[in-house]
Amino acid sequence: MSEYILEMHDITKEFSGVKAIEGINLKVRAGECVGLCGENGAGKSTLMKVLSAVYPHGTWEGTITWDGKELKAGSIRETEEAGIVIIHQELMMVPHLSVAENIFLGSELTTAGGFMDYPRMNARAAELMAMLKMPDINVAQKVSAYSGGKQQLVEIAKALNKNARLLILDEPTSALTASETRILLDIVKELKAKGMACVYISHKLDEVAEIADTVTVIRDGTHIGTAPMAELDTGKIISMMVGREMKNLFPREAHDIGEVVFEARNITCWDATNPERKVVNNISFELRKGEILGVAGLVGAGRTEMVSTLFGCYPGLYEAEVILEGKKLKIREPIDAVRNGICMVPEDRKRQGIVPLMGVGHNITMSVLPRFITGGLIDAEAEMAQIQHEILRMKVKTAQPLLPIASLSGGNQQKAVVAKMLLPEPKVLILDEPTRGIDVGAKYEIYKLIFELAKQGVAILMVSSELPEVLGISDRVLVVGEGQLRGNFINDGLTQETVLAAAIGKPVTAAA
Amino acid sequence: MTLTSKDIRHFLSEYKIVALLIVIALIWALFGVLTYTPETQTSEFLTSRNFSNLLRQMSITGMLASAMVFVIVSGEIDLSIGSLLGMVGGVAAILDVTYGWPLAGTIAVCLLLGVASSCLVGYLSAYQGIPTFIVTLGGMLVFRGIVLGLTGGTTIAPVSPEIKYIGQGYLPSVVGDIVAVAVFAILVLIAMRTRAGRIKHDLPVPSMAKEVGKLAAFGAIIVAFVLNLNNYHGVPVPVLILLVILGVFTVIGDMTVFGRRIYAVGSNLEATRMSGVNVAKVKLMVFGLMGLMCALAGLATTARLAAGTPSAGTGAELDAIASCFIGGTSMRGGVGTVGGALVGATIMASLDNGMSMLGVDTFWQQIVKGVILVFAVWMDIVSSGTRR
Repeated sequence: MSEYILEMHDITKEFSGVKAIEGINLKVRAGECVGLCGENGAGKSTLMKVLSAVYPHGTWEGTITWDGKELKAGSIRETEEAGIVIIHQELMMVPHLSVAENIFLGSELTTAGGFMDYPRMNARAAELMAMLKMPDINVAQKVSAYSGGKQQLVEIAKALNKNARLLILDEPTSALTASETRILLDIVKELKAKGMACVYISHKLDEVAEIADTVTVIRDGTHIGTAPMAELDTGKIISMMVGREMKNLFPREAHDIGEVVFEARNITCWDATNPERKVVNNISFELRKGEILGVAGLVGAGRTEMVSTLFGCYPGLYEAEVILEGKKLKIREPIDAVRNGICMVPEDRKRQGIVPLMGVGHNITMSVLPRFITGGLIDAEAEMAQIQHEILRMKVKTAQPLLPIASLSGGNQQKAVVAKMLLPEPKVLILDEPTRGIDVGAKYEIYKLIFELAKQGVAILMVSSELPEVLGISDRVLVVGEGQLRGNFINDGLTQETVLAAAIGKPVTAAA
Repeated sequence: MTLTSKDIRHFLSEYKIVALLIVIALIWALFGVLTYTPETQTSEFLTSRNFSNLLRQMSITGMLASAMVFVIVSGEIDLSIGSLLGMVGGVAAILDVTYGWPLAGTIAVCLLLGVASSCLVGYLSAYQGIPTFIVTLGGMLVFRGIVLGLTGGTTIAPVSPEIKYIGQGYLPSVVGDIVAVAVFAILVLIAMRTRAGRIKHDLPVPSMAKEVGKLAAFGAIIVAFVLNLNNYHGVPVPVLILLVILGVFTVIGDMTVFGRRIYAVGSNLEATRMSGVNVAKVKLMVFGLMGLMCALAGLATTARLAAGTPSAGTGAELDAIASCFIGGTSMRGGVGTVGGALVGATIMASLDNGMSMLGVDTFWQQIVKGVILVFAVWMDIVSSGTRR
């Protein structure tokens, strides 16, 4: 028997004649973690769907050897029974069920009469959570009572309960805070030490560097290389992913900062489901023409809530005084904000950004559609000319301008959403996590665009959970923690340590 | 090149309307064979007279389905339309018979009443947040109650000849010919306008031969349609109204800001709102349009029956909704066309008409229609490959 528990050999998968992946090899030993890297659309998800039999045996070419035998699984259930479990990027929990019920979803334990055997399930669930160093979780509590990080661990408990021997983690930390990420990485290391094989997919290369023993990089559906992590560093991985050296991740460009154009005073919001609790507590700040203001903070600090009040889309009760160019604005709905020159690229692209069934082009022109009216009807040709202009300008990669936007990769969808919010020619542009879940190349393009807009005098407010991004882009950084403004720093020699310390609420010490 | 099942599937999901037209052809062929009498060498089903009847029968469902498409595409549902149709129809009969109002006055009041009632329903849903299923279920009871109260539960007859013309009249064949020519001219005009626009903005232009071929095909359909109807008494007035609605609504759906937004709202309400669109207003307007169509359908029903009856339009909402789904409208919103819904209505009407002609019991008719509805949607799911 070979030393590998899993060998994927020469995997090729076609979609109606187009090869999504071609000739990819992936090998994993027991107790080893393989980092799988590649830009969005490179074929990572396709490869994992082949492995987990989302695409059943026979719909792709190549061979998968699992535990010394060829694996010909026809469904996810079969691969899970064999011990291959995938944990998806989005949490797949049923919020109204308890932790234990979620862990046993699909493999419920029953008593002789066919009733749910809660004592046994709860005991086993508690045991699993203790194994994951989370003994204080009440397994009978609804899973929605816990944070995203803890829910992610519940997902892992669910996988362990299925006797997983190979764990596929697809961007597991994209919704986690730094401390939650820490716990997750430690647990993965521990599982590894116990002999668990692991495939770790992430855009966060620092995590990959820490946890992976071997790294496989794919690009445009082809295998670029596999090497032990000891021989690589994040820079090398990036250049393998994009096929070129990425010397400068942040294309900083000089831009003039003018007078104050925008002021937000006393922003306070209350939790939509728990009106007693203040999510944002009396934050005020101002924004200058051509300034890029970064908003840093941990997940759950109240950053998104804060900026959504400025765009009129906060779902709960809120108070905020908004002044644009000396004029007090009343913003109750996004339409009020857009009309007055405040645009926002929202955090949750799928839910708030794209209209999935409509074409890329029609998504782009959505905010300014009335501009194209002649004689009561849309001048489709004038609209199309504008669409093609925007697609070219933003470098949106799409086969046709009217292809449904849902069929594009995340990065290209995001570019389209940004294009949509630029057409109303905003004076203030709010970007909430503008580069979440998109690939390095698309990130670079968006950064370039941010600087270009700043040069044109647009005031930019950017919320980001990635500290290097905040520090690489911003002129000034606001730090929000637990709903309060914890810091307002000019970004001149500002360090991640200083920002993080402010976010956590520790006094800033120079010696950090 | 051989056609694989995948190619066919792809073609049918791309050109859904073609698949539906094939279904109609099959249904007509089937009834044509079943109603064939060897002595006269004709099929009763495939006569101009029956073609005319069939179109008249479907016209009221068609009017409702045209607006229902937009309601469903925007992600909502309206169960109150059958009752609203009855209410407007009842009011029309009362104004006409009891008070002897002139036709214009009756029509104006009826249209206003329909729009106002549906706008109230839309307001309660879009601005007050009550789910449309609930509001319109309530409306279904309220409107039916009102019509029962107004008519005292009795039939109101006889209506004036003017109002009867709306439901029972025919256009003289000359007028029918003129309409046909006008429609064709409009199609040519639109094609030319699009072409000129594309050239102006440096966009690729389809070849002239392709364009002419397309127009010729449309022309042939129009000619066949009008000749067939003129062969009987001429184009029926309600059918003309329905065709106008088809044209206007297709333009609304494809070429106006309002239409684009209906689809956007249904596909992702939140993202549409975040783009700076007043989504509540879009929904309110969709319901306004639905009310207008209920009013027209109500007038047409009263005209067709030559009387106002308290039970008019009972169950009409289900026929309209079924037509939309058969015609490819998605339950989840964001997808559907007026043309598709009318083809769906034609399928339903053909089944009704054909089976009645064969003397099939009504209970069988209901069973068959129910099966066809489920089957059509199943085919849609299989052909678009969205089955899980």
